[in-house]
Formats: sequence, C-alpha cells, structure tokens
Amino acid sequence: MEPNPQPSANGPPPKPWEQAGSSSGPAPFKPPSAGNTSDVVEASGTAKPGEIVSASDRTAAVNRNSLGRPVPTRPWEQNYGNSTYGGYGSTMNYNSGYGTGMYGSSYGGLGGGMYGSSYGGGLYGGNSMYRGGYGGGMYGSSGMYGGGMYNSGFGGPMGGYGMGGGPYGDQDPNNPFGGPPSPPGFWISVLRVMQGVVNFFGRISILIDQNTQAFHLFMTALLQLFDRSGLLYGELARFVLRLLGIRSKSKKVHPPGPNGQRLPGPYNSSGDVNYIEAPKAAPSGGSWDNVWGNDSPQ
Amino acid sequence: MPVFKTPFNGYSVKFSPFYENRLAVATAQNFGILGNGRLHVLVLSPDPSLPIAELASYDTADGVYDVAWSESHDSIVIAAVADGSVKLYDLALPPTSNPIRSFQEHTREVHSADYNPVRRDSFLSSSWDDTVKLWTLDRPTSVRTFKEHAYCVYSAVWNPRHADVFASASGDCTVRIWDVREPGSTMILPAHDYEVLACDWNKYDECVIATASVDKSLKVWDVRNYRVPVSVLNGHGYAVRKVKFSPHVRNLLVSCSYDMTVCVWDFMVEDALVSRYDHHTEFAVGVDMSVLVEGLMASTGWDELVYVWPHGTDPRAP
Repeated sequence: MEPNPQPSANGPPPKPWEQAGSSSGPAPFKPPSAGNTSDVVEASGTAKPGEIVSASDRTAAVNRNSLGRPVPTRPWEQNYGNSTYGGYGSTMNYNSGYGTGMYGSSYGGLGGGMYGSSYGGGLYGGNSMYRGGYGGGMYGSSGMYGGGMYNSGFGGPMGGYGMGGGPYGDQDPNNPFGGPPSPPGFWISVLRVMQGVVNFFGRISILIDQNTQAFHLFMTALLQLFDRSGLLYGELARFVLRLLGIRSKSKKVHPPGPNGQRLPGPYNSSGDVNYIEAPKAAPSGGSWDNVWGNDSPQ
Repeated sequence: MPVFKTPFNGYSVKFSPFYENRLAVATAQNFGILGNGRLHVLVLSPDPSLPIAELASYDTADGVYDVAWSESHDSIVIAAVADGSVKLYDLALPPTSNPIRSFQEHTREVHSADYNPVRRDSFLSSSWDDTVKLWTLDRPTSVRTFKEHAYCVYSAVWNPRHADVFASASGDCTVRIWDVREPGSTMILPAHDYEVLACDWNKYDECVIATASVDKSLKVWDVRNYRVPVSVLNGHGYAVRKVKFSPHVRNLLVSCSYDMTVCVWDFMVEDALVSRYDHHTEFAVGVDMSVLVEGLMASTGWDELVYVWPHGTDPRAP
C-alpha cells in the first residue's frame, strides 16, 4: 500500500519536450538540486512539516501583500443576496470573482438597471478591461447605449453576451496600457441622445403593436364564437329535448299534385320513398289506391 | 468523438501521463457550491465511435475541484477536495481500500493539485486558505507551506523543465514564482488587474508562463522581463478559467472560459486565436491536452459533459 516513489523504474513515457532544448537564453533560476524533493527542501532549511495556516496568519499575510491593492471579499464570505440567476450570480463556492453579480445578472438578462449603476458609474471606468464583451447595461450611465437599453427588456443572451464592442479588447480605447478615456465629443453626445430617443419610441411602438395584436386576436375569437353560437345552441337544445323524451315531429309536407292530389305513377317526380314502399307497385293510372285521394301510408 | 456524461458538474479533466487512453475527471455536485463530489477515471475506446467507459469512480463528501495524475505510479491519482483535504487514490486497489491517503491540512477548499513532472516524487496543492503546500509521498504531512498570497490561490503549477521551481496564481492579482529551496517567493508578477485564475509554464521554454484572469484575457510572460507581457490574448467573453500550454507545439496554448468556449491560441502570431470550440452549453472549466497523443484534447464543464476530441475536429461530431 505504501507507494514508494521509484522514478527511474516506474516513470511515464518521456515527455515530448524533454528531447528539445530550451529555446531561450539563461533562466533566472538556480540550477536544480539533485536528490528527492523532501531532502532538497530539508537541506535548504525551509521545511516546515505539517504547518497549518490559521486565519490570523492569513490576516498577517495581507500586510505582506506587496501590491497594496485591496483584495476582494472571499468567496465564502460573499453576500450573494444580489444574485439574479440562482446560483450563478453568487460566488459562494466556485471561486473567481463573480461576486459582484457580474455573470449572474448578465446571464439572466435581468441586469439592466443593475449594470447601469454599478458598472457605468465609473467603477471600472479608469482602465476598463471590462469593455468589449459586455453589452448594453454595462455601459449604463456612461450613456453610450442608453440606460440599460439592451439589457432590461428583451431577455437573456442579448444583454448577456454583449452587443457593444467586439470581444477583442484591442480596439478598445480604454485598454489597460492606454490613458484614461477622454470625454465624448459633441457628435457622440448627440448620437447618444438620438439613440436614446429612438430606443424610447421603439419601445413604445412595440408596446402598442403587441397590445393591438392581442386585442385583435381576442376580438376575432369572440366574433367567431358568436357566429357559431346559434348552431351550437340549436344542436344542444335538440339533444336535451331528445334526452327528455320529447321527440320533435318531422314536419315533412308532401307537395301536392297538380290538382291537390298526389300525382299517380312511380315516375312521379315528387313521389317519395313511401310510395315506392307501398304494398303494391302502382302502375301508371291503374291503381285503386288513388281513387280516394292521397292516402298513401305515412 | 465520444462524450461522457458525469452525474455532477465537471471541474477538471487530466490525461494520464502513462496511458494514452486514460483520463481523470473531477466533478462536484450542485456546481460545487454544496454537496458531494466524484472522481472519475475514464477509458477511451480505440474506436472513436464507441462510448467512453468508466474504469473507476470514487465518491467524496465534498466537491472535487481538481485532479492530478501521479508521474511515478500509473495508477495513482490525486484529488483536490473542497473540504480542504488532498486525497490519493490507487486504481489498482479495490474501492474499499481507497483513498489510500487523505491529507487534511488546508483550512479551506483545495483548488488545484499538480504533480512534479521532473522529479516525480512530490506534488503541490493550492487552496483558498491562501497557501500552497508541497507534499511528498514518503512523508505523512506536507513538507512545506508557501504562504505569501493575500487571497485564494487558484492554481500552483510546477515548471516542467526545472525540478524546484513552480508558479502560483492567486486572487490577489499576482502570480508568484517560487523555488522550493528559498524561504519566500523569488518573483512576483503583478499579472492582471483582476483575479488570476490559472497559470501554466511553457513546456519548451522554462521562462515563459501564461496566466488567465477574470479580466477575460490571457497573458504570456517571460519571467526574465516581467514588467511587460510577451503577448496579451483577448477573445474570451468572460473570465478565463484554465490555461494549458501544448505539450507538443511550443507556441500553442489552450484555454477555457466562463463564456463556455474552449480556445486554442498561438501566442507568437498576430492573429493569436487559432480555433474556438463552443461545444459546451455551460461554463467550460476544465481543459487538457494529451501528452501522449499529439493534438488530442479533453474538456469538461458545468454541463456535466466530458468531451475528448482531436484538435481541429468538431467535439460534437459523432
């Protein structure tokens, strides 16, 4: 069970890079030591077996942070109340700085106003690497895309994946190696205003359009219902009456003959089935049945 | 190419350095926020039309965030577990006797594990308790703890050409280069303005290192001149989660991101993005390139799928 390291006897196949020499100049590292790792570390005097770092040590480490940057809240300390997409917005446990609801909100597309305030207001303004991939709302109050124009109404992917700018930050005037962004020129401001206006009316027209369509559909359905209702109720009434045992009498009238009598003969055009079903087929004019008038069995 | 469905959300995938058809996958339930984890060892069939088979799987009481193959034993895998433990599993042993070791020293989630490919007797673990620990198989405890970072350490990777040097990427926006014989870090790279989530060494140049960050970019650095990056690779739409240099091509690297894509880059050319794979439908958080088969790639993500495909083909192609 004890896995004894036997590197020479039990090594993996050679790595493809082992045959190739290092292609650049001298490295700033001390040459590697011989022997196994634990011996090397112990020989250097830096070994500290089984050290457990407590939270207080961690706080001390913050002071050693040579960058002097504030560090974000820890993933497990994060306030994930502002998450908008279930677990995604919160970074409780899966590391990596999604804490500010950055992914959460844009993924769900609910982010309109949220971005407007948190990103646009210059939080990332200085050397915004967040330009580029983020759409709509992120540019919120910087105004370019209006107040959350892409983000708030039309759902997820549109806002989430960014309509603004290409994904390549290189064309970004705000790339981290450039200076701070200059204020927008006159025409840009005008265009932004125009865009806001167009967007506003676009929304209103969509609203009206949708309502009109809904109303139309409703009225059409209603009219169709009324249109058919006579038939529907007639059938229904007949059915109910039949169930009640009331049989509506067929009011079939035999059209009279030329002299008020039924026309004799089988070829009588107005003759009905009953005539044919009469006990005796009556040849033309030869039947006594017709003597007393039209009394064919009904 | 074959796809494997894991019951939990994928977190990391690594090819075995011994067998070209074997890979290990770390997964965690409920996106790693709460719940169990599982370590899968998968076997690729020689016929790509056949599905990927599972050789073994080990359950843990907390999510598994990373996995590393031993370079000295073909059957040993190391799991970085969210409860702060580092566990060793031996595939050759029955499931009842696994894990063969469980090191409980980190006080927070362990986020990465990396086995020393040069000396092959030690490995590193990096944790959200801001430390990196060095372990050897012949000691019951960690040999050393590297505590300098001011925030979670997301990744610690050995230099593949130098037995004593490694780099660590942290949420304090720095990457630090360490020599296990030195008391402190030997270099501090203020690599990004936002958290650095991963780093990896070039396999053909011991001074070149790539970093991946929440700022959506990858940067390639020469440690001899770390004021200016050699190259900045933009193209991901969200934070870049992992980066890995190709074991076969000097200038090639692969990255995966929260924008759900896996990208392959050539950092020495102007138009650096070589290809983009958008086969995942959730965050792509694990990617690896095979050391033994040139161009063979694997990726996993929160869509609970593991894809294995040769570079240049569609991972979803049947």
